[in-house]
Amino acid sequence: MVNTDQHIVSAYDRDLESIQARIMKMGGMVEDAILKAAKSLETRDEELAEEVRLGDRAIDTLEEIINDEAARVIAIRAPTAIDLRVILSVMRMTSNLERIGDLSKNMAKRTGVLVQMQPIGSTASSLRRMAREVELMLKDALDAYIQRDEELARDVIERDRDVDQMYNTLFREFLTFMLEDPRNITACMHLHFIAKNIERMGDHVTSISEQVVFLVTGEKPNEARPKADRTSSDPHFSPETDGD
Amino acid sequence: MTQNETKISANGVQVFYGDTHAIKDVDVQIEDKTVTAFIGPSGCGKSTFLRCLNRMNDTIDICRVEGKITIDGDDIYDKRVDPVQLRAKVGMVFQKPNPFPKSIYDNIAYGPRIHGLAKNKAELDEIVEKSLRRGAIWDEVKDRLDAPGTGLSGGQQQRLCIARAVATEPEVLLMDEPCSALDPIATAQVEELIDELRSNYSVVIVTHSMQQAARVSQKTAFFHLGNLVEFGETGKIFTNPEDPRTESYITGRIG
Repeated sequence: MVNTDQHIVSAYDRDLESIQARIMKMGGMVEDAILKAAKSLETRDEELAEEVRLGDRAIDTLEEIINDEAARVIAIRAPTAIDLRVILSVMRMTSNLERIGDLSKNMAKRTGVLVQMQPIGSTASSLRRMAREVELMLKDALDAYIQRDEELARDVIERDRDVDQMYNTLFREFLTFMLEDPRNITACMHLHFIAKNIERMGDHVTSISEQVVFLVTGEKPNEARPKADRTSSDPHFSPETDGD
Repeated sequence: MTQNETKISANGVQVFYGDTHAIKDVDVQIEDKTVTAFIGPSGCGKSTFLRCLNRMNDTIDICRVEGKITIDGDDIYDKRVDPVQLRAKVGMVFQKPNPFPKSIYDNIAYGPRIHGLAKNKAELDEIVEKSLRRGAIWDEVKDRLDAPGTGLSGGQQQRLCIARAVATEPEVLLMDEPCSALDPIATAQVEELIDELRSNYSVVIVTHSMQQAARVSQKTAFFHLGNLVEFGETGKIFTNPEDPRTESYITGRIG
């Protein structure tokens, strides 16, 4: 059970609340970036993609502000126990969120290229659904953080398996399209990078959820993370193989 | 972290001041060659418990100690134990530096003299130099050993008192807020000294500074209302304590 009593020095509470409010804001901005990047890809909306690219700067700035504030709390308040874990988890989470922001920006950049080419089947819609799943996981991870909900955080870690499976399916689909017609290769390469970006976002969300478990229990979850991405480890993984 | 041998073992210790129940059924094993910190709010019993370890409470008429405390397996409250001999073995340093109104040399030589630890002047000189070196104050006072101990600065006086405490070759060193009257530099010097003393002694320190407890100790005990609430590895106590009362105290919360 997490101690929710107030500090005797009330300014300490205000410092910690301010940092946590900012990380929730940063999380909201990153969720927004994921959704918009995916939507701009599906609807071939160059303007929306441009918005995501430009919006990343604000996310980076917020990361810096949060880390500066966290450093200040360490210097001034010498946090211990739950307070120390709040600060440590915040600093790790900002870096995960910042990376997700970067990956969304990279998606948006590729969208700018992809709109010049023929769409590849319905893969853009599949990617949008995959991104939507990651965004929901992030939302739950942030809710778990603010509510100190260990169960929900562990649930999010489990759900990363689904994202990995979606990636495997898309990987096979892209290979099929490329084998069918070499003219699809350029577009498929970009789309594959996007799929990989989203899969990586899922890993960052998992890492955020692990921080929630650490925050609540004082220990990192020890069981191995569920891994269902076999594309990098299985040489026989090809469109002809029937996967699992 | 390697486990050291148990130096002091307390079982079911109760302390009463008249009708006041100051220490309630405390069990703790204090390791040799380890710094153990006692923390807790004022009046929690940490100093009272510290004073049980060298029978300083004997000097208070209304104070009654129950339970068993052993050092190296020997019951220190046994009738045959001479408290004066016990206190030579279990040295103590207090909150306010309290050098004797004597020369620096005599401050250190006093204990060894009354306990007959030196056969002649040369041996006594040797003990004085060794103790002042262990107290990390030799270089500052070696040219004025005849000067009064009370003429030193506060930090120097406290290190003199630590040197005086180690002069009788104790096995355990008890420190009751040894730095609360010192400035940060003198505090750092004493903390450095405590860390060095750890290789020879079992050190028990009572402190109101949580950061000091975190810096100098390997084991921490948290006392609250006469109970020993939590005892464990210092790193664990300060990052992930088990008991909510410990957490409230070390994070400065209204518990």
